[in-house]
Amino acid sequence: MNRAFFIWGRSIHPVRLLATMQRMSEISPATEQASASSKRLPGDLAIWFFIMAELVAFAVFFSAYAFTRAKHVEMFNLYQQTLDRDLGALNTLLLITGSWFIVLAVQAAHRNDQKAISRNILLGFLCGGGFLAVKVIEYSAKFGAGISMSTNTFYMFYISLTFFHFMHVILGMVILAVLWLQSRKGVYGSHDAHGLESGAAYWHMVDLLWIILFPLVYVMR
Amino acid sequence: MSGAFTKSMARNIFYGGTVFFFLLFLALSFDTHTQLPKRDMRQNITPQVIEGKKLWEVNNCIGCHTLMGEGAYFAPELGNVVVRYGDEGVKAFIKSRPKDGIPGRRSMPQFNFTDEQLDAIVAFLKHVNSINDANWPPNDQG
Amino acid sequence: MQYKSQAVAKPYFIAAIGLFVGQILFGLILGLQYVLGDFLFPAIPFNVARMVHTNLLIVWLLFGFMGGAYFMIPEESETELFSPKLALAMFWIFLVAGALTIVGYLTVPYATLAAMTGNNLIETMGREFLEQPLPTKLGIVVVALAFLFNLTMTMLKGKKTAISMVLMIGLWGLAVFFLFSFYNPVNVVLDKFFWWWTVHLWVEGVWELILGSFLAFVLIKTTGVDREVIEKWLYVIVTLTLISGIIGTGHHYFWIGTPEYWQWWGSIFSALEPIPFFGMTVFAFNMVNRRRREHPNKAAVLWALGTGVMAFLGAGVWGFLHTLAPVNYYTHGSQITAAHGHMAFYGAYAMVNLMMISYAMPILRGRAANSNKSQVLEMWSFWLMTIAMVFITLFLTAAGILQVWLQRVSDTPLPFMVTQDKISLFYWMREWAGVAFLIGLILYIVSFFVGGEEEKAK
Repeated sequence: MNRAFFIWGRSIHPVRLLATMQRMSEISPATEQASASSKRLPGDLAIWFFIMAELVAFAVFFSAYAFTRAKHVEMFNLYQQTLDRDLGALNTLLLITGSWFIVLAVQAAHRNDQKAISRNILLGFLCGGGFLAVKVIEYSAKFGAGISMSTNTFYMFYISLTFFHFMHVILGMVILAVLWLQSRKGVYGSHDAHGLESGAAYWHMVDLLWIILFPLVYVMR
Repeated sequence: MSGAFTKSMARNIFYGGTVFFFLLFLALSFDTHTQLPKRDMRQNITPQVIEGKKLWEVNNCIGCHTLMGEGAYFAPELGNVVVRYGDEGVKAFIKSRPKDGIPGRRSMPQFNFTDEQLDAIVAFLKHVNSINDANWPPNDQG
Repeated sequence: MQYKSQAVAKPYFIAAIGLFVGQILFGLILGLQYVLGDFLFPAIPFNVARMVHTNLLIVWLLFGFMGGAYFMIPEESETELFSPKLALAMFWIFLVAGALTIVGYLTVPYATLAAMTGNNLIETMGREFLEQPLPTKLGIVVVALAFLFNLTMTMLKGKKTAISMVLMIGLWGLAVFFLFSFYNPVNVVLDKFFWWWTVHLWVEGVWELILGSFLAFVLIKTTGVDREVIEKWLYVIVTLTLISGIIGTGHHYFWIGTPEYWQWWGSIFSALEPIPFFGMTVFAFNMVNRRRREHPNKAAVLWALGTGVMAFLGAGVWGFLHTLAPVNYYTHGSQITAAHGHMAFYGAYAMVNLMMISYAMPILRGRAANSNKSQVLEMWSFWLMTIAMVFITLFLTAAGILQVWLQRVSDTPLPFMVTQDKISLFYWMREWAGVAFLIGLILYIVSFFVGGEEEKAK
């Protein structure tokens, strides 16, 4: 019996992906830095799993939008014109600027500039706050006009996608707030930017998603 | 330590992600509650409908039938049975079930409902049929 | 075993297996009623037998979860259980309440049972899976709270590991979401909406945390892989579970009067639900491949791998088959749903409990693993039950496809009962597969009584 199981056990093909990732995660930092610091994955592998899952969810949502739009091009074009593209553009600017500040924060960490870390995180956070404020203005106009997810398919997608993203901005800001508090305690620096990089990666994802969402829903026709 | 995979980060993401998606679910549920009055025909829920729902429950109808597709799959869908049989047809069917079943075939038990109870059951089923359930089932056969 | 108080798990496991046998016997009765409609009528009508079948399933899984938790938590916390006496008292209360409920179902008409047990006070009965009379429901709450209190106190005085935290969140979630079973508004749409907060958030939410935690525990014990590695993967997997599963509730909100955006939200997020199950399979195989020692309990390892694969197939693949709204429009409430339900429950929850029992029972009986002879028999039962379940699922899927075609898609839709007659061949084949499953289960029980040379306990 033992043998039967053993043979069966051996015949299992190891799943490469997981094994590779596991190995990746277990490389000691010293050898890793020595070999190729350019190939290093910034942040924690766990946050990358989360980012992957979120991107998959958004990707499916975006594809659903694209396919549905293809079926109802005229209707989508008609209601797309009711969206406020200027506010959308402003929000794009805010998020890109926010991302830029976070890049500066990470760079500051690598050269141990403690003040600049906190300052840039805070500026990034404020950009996120600006985004939320603009979005609230936009939403209040839409909801004030009685528009909801049940109005029609276009608005269903518009509200679902932007609100799902809106929630991500809030989550991103919560993460930035934690990073800011930590940075004030001097946690980050060239010795350890692990947590900061993880949060930064998430914040860039939020930005990236908007850069896809904005043209897709507001502009493209 | 950079380029790592740490348990504490995995744990924080678990807690954070869970709270996040639960809040999102609550937000969607809240929106659903604002929309439901337009779809569930709650204005037509009379005491008779309520009585019908209770009879539906205490006789465990869901143990054989489906209602809007949910339940057991042993007996026909009843969300649209009033369309299939008509009010009187439904009552006649329930009333005429033989006490000892039908040899070799599935049969509904004889519940000995009074006429008032039958009216209540039909009122409930009519109410369910009036709910806007996105045109389900695909046809009258359920 | 390392802690004396872990022994309270034993009666829970024995009860679980006993109730499992009852569940399967009633399953066979149901299967026969599908083809011989008047079988046992009117003594045990279909709805009564089904209620017994599904309620026994829920109760035996709960017994398994509780037994597993009582076994695991002291070992994880590295301390004795807070109160073994309370655990034993709750065992008897739960068992007696469960038994009385089943007797009630079988001996009294359901409406009479409802009247006798105070359903008029709070009307909670007569909804699928939540058919239990009010006293039983209250009993479940009391038992669950005492159980959680006992374990939480144990954890508070001991070590708090990731595995036990995930388990406790799963168990607390189980108790909290059960409370929605007491909410039964007269508005049937609201009723159904919150009914899923118990049913879906159990099986596609918090129960998966219990599943993941049990699996991680047994993998640590049997493979010797570093706890650190296993625990961080556990976190990743349960994160994926909840981010897909919570909004995934929406796949039940397509056709019950809820707004139509759920067709999008539900389809998209439930389409992601196979991912964590796939992760679980990869996780189990990977850890076993990287094992640092050969644990003498091969059977437990087999169950661990099996639950990963079967949960992925049953819950993941078979769930995905009909989770997209345009597909579900035709398959909703058909035998496809039944096919998915059978394999998902067996693969995810029955098997994970059998895995825990397989790992823990020898230890509770004072040995590291059962004799070779006993394990060979247990593995035979594994394959018999699992293959039988695969066939049950395949036959029901075939029946479901035909049913959907004849009754809903074709230009001249046939009435329900006419369709049922036309697909009865598949119901017969399903019944025979069910008999094979029962034989597997009997072998499983026999394996407990087979002697031979046993591995000594450490």
